Amino acid sequence: MIEGKKIYLTKEGLERLKNEARNLGELKLLKTKNEVPKILQSEDLNPEYLSFQEDLSLFEARLADLEHIVKNAEIIQVPPKEKQNLISLGATVVVEVDGQEDEFEIVGSLEANPAIGKISNESPVGKALLGHKTGDEVVISSLVKTVFRVKKIKYLLS
Amino acid sequence: MKPILKFLIEAGKLKGKKRRGWKLHQIKNPETTAEHIFHLCLLVWTMGEKKKIDTGRAIKIALVHDLCEVYAPDLTPYDPLLPKNRKKIKEILKKWPQFSQQMKKEKEKGKKQVESAALEKLVVGLPVGLKEKIKTLWLDYEQGLTKEGRFVKQADKLVNFLQGMIYWQKGDEIQYNLWMRWIREIIDDPVLLELLKNIEENFFSA
Repeated sequence: MIEGKKIYLTKEGLERLKNEARNLGELKLLKTKNEVPKILQSEDLNPEYLSFQEDLSLFEARLADLEHIVKNAEIIQVPPKEKQNLISLGATVVVEVDGQEDEFEIVGSLEANPAIGKISNESPVGKALLGHKTGDEVVISSLVKTVFRVKKIKYLLS
Repeated sequence: MKPILKFLIEAGKLKGKKRRGWKLHQIKNPETTAEHIFHLCLLVWTMGEKKKIDTGRAIKIALVHDLCEVYAPDLTPYDPLLPKNRKKIKEILKKWPQFSQQMKKEKEKGKKQVESAALEKLVVGLPVGLKEKIKTLWLDYEQGLTKEGRFVKQADKLVNFLQGMIYWQKGDEIQYNLWMRWIREIIDDPVLLELLKNIEENFFSA
């Protein structure tokens, strides 16, 4: 992550990360007091935190990362109705490419997970689609050309 | 010492495990999982220096990211679609596998559960500190908990793409346009995008 750069997140994504930061901060505080964190005895505890206890470098790195994210986060908003015909962050897009139909949601880099159909707004495909409307042909022109035809744009964010 | 020896013997099996995706593409003498890990480590080290991340941590993440394959199957995106007939497999490989959002999520969830259990089986006897370190490094790769984990995740896809282009150049049946489309949906790291541009120029400028 680039220092000072805006980090786009969905509302749910930001909430999840804020909770994680809160839990890790609490653990850190207890550890500095040399107390056995009660949170570790909770049945609801994410087992990952137990592992963090064993890998302190990850614990520290993750906490610093989360603090940076929360500080620089900007929530992805659904655009006003008159702009919902255009692809922007948060849009779920149906495209036709190489004779196949595909669907993905355009999200910020941190929430991107192409394996489940969430692609980053900073990836070549995400970047190229932004600002286009239904019916547009979007060409990623480089030595190997890819053409996407935008078939549908939806905003499913809460 | 015995549990570490057992771990080393088991992990060493990846040196002989041919990558299933390449076998599906009928690549002759395809790379093994261990060879893929070696290539990824080099990419992560060289590009990680440029990215100014903790390359030591990133290389360790790369080293453990596929350890689960000692016991877990090496799954490919095509798996749910594969027929038994080899000729039909060729036809399927001409298109990128498409699934609904719901199916993509279910596939991922199932894959993670299987891989997590396989990793647990591999590290179960190791000293606690070492065991937990391996597990958290793997978790970092899977969930992108740190900038190193997120970098290695994308680098893993890019090194796979690079290998695909090497096979394509040798004359193997790789649908390079589909691969290019796939990688352009995945990579967003500026350092890796620069490498992708170089790969494209290297293989396609003539």
